[in-house]
Amino acid sequence: MPIVFASAGSHAPGITAWAEAAPIEQKQRLYRAYDDVQAALAGSRPDVLILLTSEHWSNFFLDHIGAFCVGRAGHFDGPVEPWLKVPKSRVPGHPAFAAELIDALYASDFEPSFSHSMELDHGSMVPLHFLTPSMTTPVVPIMFNTLASPQPSARRCLAFGQAIGRFAERSQLRVALVATGGLSHDPGEKNHGVINPEFDRRFLGEMAAGQTDRLAAYSTADLMSQGAGTMELLSWVALAGAMQGRKGEIVAYEAVKPWGTGIGLICYPVGAAAA
Amino acid sequence: MSIYALQKLIRDVNRDPRLRESYFAGPEQFVTGYELTDAERSALLAVDLTRLYGLGVHGLLLKPFSILHSVPEPEYLAKIRESA
Repeated sequence: MPIVFASAGSHAPGITAWAEAAPIEQKQRLYRAYDDVQAALAGSRPDVLILLTSEHWSNFFLDHIGAFCVGRAGHFDGPVEPWLKVPKSRVPGHPAFAAELIDALYASDFEPSFSHSMELDHGSMVPLHFLTPSMTTPVVPIMFNTLASPQPSARRCLAFGQAIGRFAERSQLRVALVATGGLSHDPGEKNHGVINPEFDRRFLGEMAAGQTDRLAAYSTADLMSQGAGTMELLSWVALAGAMQGRKGEIVAYEAVKPWGTGIGLICYPVGAAAA
Repeated sequence: MSIYALQKLIRDVNRDPRLRESYFAGPEQFVTGYELTDAERSALLAVDLTRLYGLGVHGLLLKPFSILHSVPEPEYLAKIRESA
């Protein structure tokens, strides 16, 4: 069955934790955009949502870290952060679908880690809070290592996303895809608070145009030059791979200084994604 | 890879309430459970953010650790920007 929904968006904790610090107009535009995307997702009636995401030392540490990890648990609790101002929730998983996905990835020459126990931090809970507020849609999170060097290349992430997309389209279930992270930001590092709207708009433009060759060409140095958190855009590149060059729509972009992050939201129209 | 032990200690304090309590109750005793170099132990016990960052502690570990020590964000950024 064709993928029924696809979207990518930022997950900066300030979006919820210190929402009122942002200029009111920026906050309202972004919240309205999230509402629009939420309505589109709900209208697509997904059976399962694959969340291409990243985390912040919540589950994985340097004692054992892999490039990608598929969550195959029956549920995932989050957020880890008590201060996030997102209600504590138990997000349902989809173990059977996750197991099929892992098998399909292995058959496509990708060998992700997998986990029966995973908590969700703001990297997953901020987007889910906006997009599936009832927390009843089964979610299969795929964590990307964006923190510890070396990270997977953008080219590898594009191919990984292509494999996910092929699997999703073979599934009998109605599959939604959501990528999260970025855009330019350098959390906790020397350029904390620095945003590069020019980079952000270029990247969003390439995503919307389905320019997979350009997206795959981003090097680790290219992304790191825009801040360590910009590595999270690897999940967006994977989404572009799953979309196989289809065009998307930039729903919103705001460089929100108090949140220290360029906040972007892109959606692939259901009709186009389902075509 | 001793920086691993230093980062593990900081992550433990950030993530585990019981270990956090133990750390704040007696940092000198707490650090004996980790294989730190003299420089790492010294920087940690002094909560010297400049030296800790310079030793290679990841920003997403050090920033939450600084919050536990009630370091305001502008001071945190000033300290890490002093490192080489």
